Amino acid sequence: MIGPSRVAELEMPAAGIETGAARPAQSYWNESWERLRGNRLGVAAGLLIVVLALVAVMAPLLSAVLTHAQPQTIDLDSTFARPGAGGHLLGADELGRDTLTRLIWGARVSLGVAFLTVAMSLTVGTAVGMMAGYYGGWLDDVLMRFVDMVLAIPAIFLFILMSILIRPNAITLAAIVASVGWGSVARLVRGEVLSVKQRDFILATRSIGARDSRLMLRHLLPNVLPVLIVAASLGVGQIILVEAALDFLGLGIQPPTPSWGNMLTNAQSYFFRSGSLVAFPGITIFITVLASNIFGNAVRDAFDPRLKS
Amino acid sequence: MTQPLLEVSDLHTVFSTKEGMVKAVDGVSFELHAGETLGIVGESGCGKSVTALSIMRLQRPGRIVGGKVMFKGQDLTRVSEYEMREVRGKEIAMIFQDPMTSLNPVYRVGWQVGEPTRLHGGWDAKKALSSAVTMLARVGIPSAAARAKDYPHQFSGGMRQRAMIAMGLTTTPEVLIADEPTTALDVTIQAQILDLLRDVNREFGTATILITHNLGVVAGMCQRLIVMYAGKIVEAGPTTDVFANPKHPYTWSLLRSIPRLDAERHEPLKPIEGLPPNLVDLPAGCSFHPRCVFKVDRCSRDTPALLQVGDTQRSACWVTQSGTELKGA
Repeated sequence: MIGPSRVAELEMPAAGIETGAARPAQSYWNESWERLRGNRLGVAAGLLIVVLALVAVMAPLLSAVLTHAQPQTIDLDSTFARPGAGGHLLGADELGRDTLTRLIWGARVSLGVAFLTVAMSLTVGTAVGMMAGYYGGWLDDVLMRFVDMVLAIPAIFLFILMSILIRPNAITLAAIVASVGWGSVARLVRGEVLSVKQRDFILATRSIGARDSRLMLRHLLPNVLPVLIVAASLGVGQIILVEAALDFLGLGIQPPTPSWGNMLTNAQSYFFRSGSLVAFPGITIFITVLASNIFGNAVRDAFDPRLKS
Repeated sequence: MTQPLLEVSDLHTVFSTKEGMVKAVDGVSFELHAGETLGIVGESGCGKSVTALSIMRLQRPGRIVGGKVMFKGQDLTRVSEYEMREVRGKEIAMIFQDPMTSLNPVYRVGWQVGEPTRLHGGWDAKKALSSAVTMLARVGIPSAAARAKDYPHQFSGGMRQRAMIAMGLTTTPEVLIADEPTTALDVTIQAQILDLLRDVNREFGTATILITHNLGVVAGMCQRLIVMYAGKIVEAGPTTDVFANPKHPYTWSLLRSIPRLDAERHEPLKPIEGLPPNLVDLPAGCSFHPRCVFKVDRCSRDTPALLQVGDTQRSACWVTQSGTELKGA
């Protein structure tokens, strides 16, 4: 050992504490996870979203076993069935299609588009934000002015235009929404990269001969990840609302494919005839978005070091 | 004399700012021989850190606009980025001022200390980790195997600096550049880290460039010393000679502004009057002349070159070059 005498002499007390092992090694991730688990409301909201996601994935199974109906099967005998009547747990619409079945299949669209949109915005936004923040200079200027432009486009007109040009399905719809959504992610990531980049460990890592790609992916990305996780979990609820709104306006998923949004469009004509047609999709959207937001807030409280008390 | 290990000649590094071009390093030349410890001293903003970063070509956003850095027969200012990466961390390692932010908070210490061997030796994770543990033990981290599993926030400042030194040594580099390695640490820890650097120098034969603003550190550590002011070397020579008989008024003033145990009479410390110059708008002639108590007319007109003054020292000063001794006042 180098300098043993001096080290032994000066570090005695430290060495004593050392053997006591006051606290096991806790990574940032472990700590955040512990904090998240401590938030009961947040955990409940997260579980609800997981359940909804499972429902969406198992839609074919559920509609065969639970509701015994297909989302697009017209049954003129049970038009406007009341909830509970004729085996329709949540009633049926003007063509006798089972509302619960359609909600279950609609979850595929709503949640699928939401997750896909968030994934796309995060991927593109992170890549752009990281390049801009890391390299700086003219690349930063070009990329961020482009982001400014994207964010300055009135989203609703872009959506209308795009849905005329491309007939939207789940994937193209996600791409359309993400084509605007990545801008704010890019800004967020760039800001974070600019602050992390100043820290000495980036210079230290460069001084051991790491290449740019390694610095960005292995050293910057894990440090930016917390804000990405927070952005993702808060983004889901927002995107569900946007997607529902687009469907409602007829710019999203087209009937007869059920989505929560176009079920509402359909229901507005029959509001006074059968209120449940409006109520159930509305409540579903409301609860899902509320759960996403509560979960998103819980994640932010757990992962954002700045909020650590 | 043997071939120097590292030879910096007439290095110029500039930064473009809104106010104008800052010549952070303005014609710096020095040599580093195998196994020696060289001190670079100067106050904040005199260009000592930028000099070190320029050797590693990490001076961004600054630009190296002139000069050479010869290392093992190649000019580091001209080699490709790929070749430069091979030099960084493998042949020249660097330690930074603030150990609190020098380690990545999301990775375990052992992983980070082993990173240079994974990058340069192509070692797998297991081999790199075991070498990291060995090296952590050698730099005096108790229970190194267990501590390697810790995250940086579980290390104290002194331990982090030890870890940084361990990281620098894993690839047994020939040159270690320590940029104010003890500035952010308290005094007892400073002594430990300096001891460690001295032992590293002795055991591994690593040539060390020690950058500091602390003359006491230089006195205890370095055989040779370079004093920088406003981007230029103003004095260079063996540490004992420079301390005993400074040949530049700046060094002379610096030495009078620190307390000495062996002073005959305890007099008040004498600060250097005035402020360091604005690097965008340097005074004409010698940059130090507005603060210099020995200045003559010529000092505000012509810039002195770094020339031999006395047997062992070099100084950039019209006064001492003309044979006048720095005394009194």
